[in-house]
Amino acid sequence: MDTVSQKGRQIGLAGGVESVESARGLSLTWVIGTILPLVILASWQLASSREWVDPVFLPAPSTVVTAFWTMLTQQDLILDFLVSINIVIQGFVYGAVAAVVLGIAAGLSKRFEQFVSPTFNTIRHIPGIAWLPLIVLWLGLGAPAKILVISKTVFFPVFLNTLQGVRGVDEKYIELSRVLKMSRFQLIRKIVLPAATPSIMVSLRYAAGLAWALVVVAEGLSGLQGLGFLIFRAQGLLLTDQLLVCMVLIGLVGFVIDRSMYVAERRILRWRQGFDG
Amino acid sequence: MDRTSETAGADAEPWEDHRLKIRGLSKRFSIPGRRPLEVIQNANLDIAPGEFVSLVGPSGCGKSTLLRLIAGIDGDYQGRIEFEGRLIEGPGLDRGIVFQDHRLLPWLTLAKNIELGLLNADYSAQEQRHLVQSHIELVGLGGFEEAWPHELSGGMAQRGAIARGLVSQPSLLLMDEPFGALDALTRVHLQGELLSIWRAEGISMLLVTHDVDEAIFLSNRVVVMGSNPGRIVRVFEIGSEVRANRTGDEFNHLKQQVLEAMGEISESVFVV
Ligand SMILES: Nc1ncnc2c1ncn2[C@@H]1O[C@H](COP(=O)(O)OP(=O)(O)O)[C@@H](O)[C@H]1O
Ligand SMILES: [Mg+2]
Repeated sequence: MDTVSQKGRQIGLAGGVESVESARGLSLTWVIGTILPLVILASWQLASSREWVDPVFLPAPSTVVTAFWTMLTQQDLILDFLVSINIVIQGFVYGAVAAVVLGIAAGLSKRFEQFVSPTFNTIRHIPGIAWLPLIVLWLGLGAPAKILVISKTVFFPVFLNTLQGVRGVDEKYIELSRVLKMSRFQLIRKIVLPAATPSIMVSLRYAAGLAWALVVVAEGLSGLQGLGFLIFRAQGLLLTDQLLVCMVLIGLVGFVIDRSMYVAERRILRWRQGFDG
Repeated sequence: MDRTSETAGADAEPWEDHRLKIRGLSKRFSIPGRRPLEVIQNANLDIAPGEFVSLVGPSGCGKSTLLRLIAGIDGDYQGRIEFEGRLIEGPGLDRGIVFQDHRLLPWLTLAKNIELGLLNADYSAQEQRHLVQSHIELVGLGGFEEAWPHELSGGMAQRGAIARGLVSQPSLLLMDEPFGALDALTRVHLQGELLSIWRAEGISMLLVTHDVDEAIFLSNRVVVMGSNPGRIVRVFEIGSEVRANRTGDEFNHLKQQVLEAMGEISESVFVV
């Protein structure tokens, strides 16, 4: 089978060339992407060393770094950080799992969709933050109330995209499942779920961003722990350096969350042709 | 009146020797608000064990519909379709099917796709592995077990689909224009491969094609269908000496006859 093995080599070769080129493209992207942050950092340093701005409103970058070190070594920054992360992860996982399960059920059964959709649509239009006061009354100021609110926020985009993904499964694959005598469970496991995965992954990445943004607000509004609490407390005490530490940290964590979702997406969807996020 | 089976000389064989036996098959589609459309009218057809039969005819004459009825994907017809002595009730792993689009699941590797054909077959894990591997090799895709479908060329993907159709070891393989979307060179190549696969497996084959050349080259018999309503108008026996020489006079003569039969459908000439 000469033609076949030759084709195999061609595929291997093409893949190699492509990855070399994309590596070069990646490093260039990296360089271009770091220009603007460096400019901003430099202007910030300049503005504070020339005292253009009152340090109470904008402390120097070096002051912020010192504040970061103080918070890390003498205060409970790590603890607050872990509290926030814990809430986000739990809220995200519960919301996403419920959304995928119910989304598949609603996708497969029009009846079930009709059953839940009026209720869901009403709940969906009340923002997570608007739920928080009531839920805090029920569950108290601790983590459970925030986890619940984040689950709610994660749930709806994922639910709707899962439903849409299931509805979008190609009729031809359903026909194939009949030819192969698949059971309903096998149909879901082997065809419906994988076919809906691209749509689900998009919503998971989006929802992860929402969840992280929301935890900061929720912690600011209730409770005495977490990055959100720290940032609002810093504002109240005019600890601008600590406030900036929290802001940078929140931004970095958000960036890391989005990158890891992107990497997970690439890995899970590696079967897709020409897929590049 | 049972012309097709006479042509096949099938009445001389005992009943059990027919792999597939179709009698008085009619199929109509009713679309609400419109006159029911008679897609197949009174079709009779037998396929013997190990026989290769091709179905040709103008587009829209009901070839795919006939194949889908035999596969058990469609139902709700008049007449009888018997497979190995039993009426067909829905799809079964005893009849493999290959569609025009390869229909490999894009999220499974080639090997996993072929394994899908055994998902509900009664084989041990070891037998499954062996069957999958031997069928990958049968269609010449050794070394591509872990390839994603989008990494395969059209011809390779279609070979994968044939392997999936064969892996559960059906006694009849149904193919609906399996090479229709391929370029001419790949098509000729795969025709040759299909012939050796057929010889290796020794099973019955029913191939729908619009390529008369392909039909004659591959088949023991070529069944010509006509349209409005869809029906079988002529059956050609193809001698092995004719098939042996694809550029020979006899081959071309027969090709001419088949093409004429396809063109003279309106006159319903019932003479072979
Ligand atoms: N599900 C269906 N509902 C209504 N009409 C159909 C359906 N499937 C096929 N037909 C009609 O039946 C006829 C035969 O179709 P088909 O078997 O696909 O033809 P062929 O494969 O020979 O080109 C066509 O006129 C087509 O429009
Ligand atoms: Mg067709």
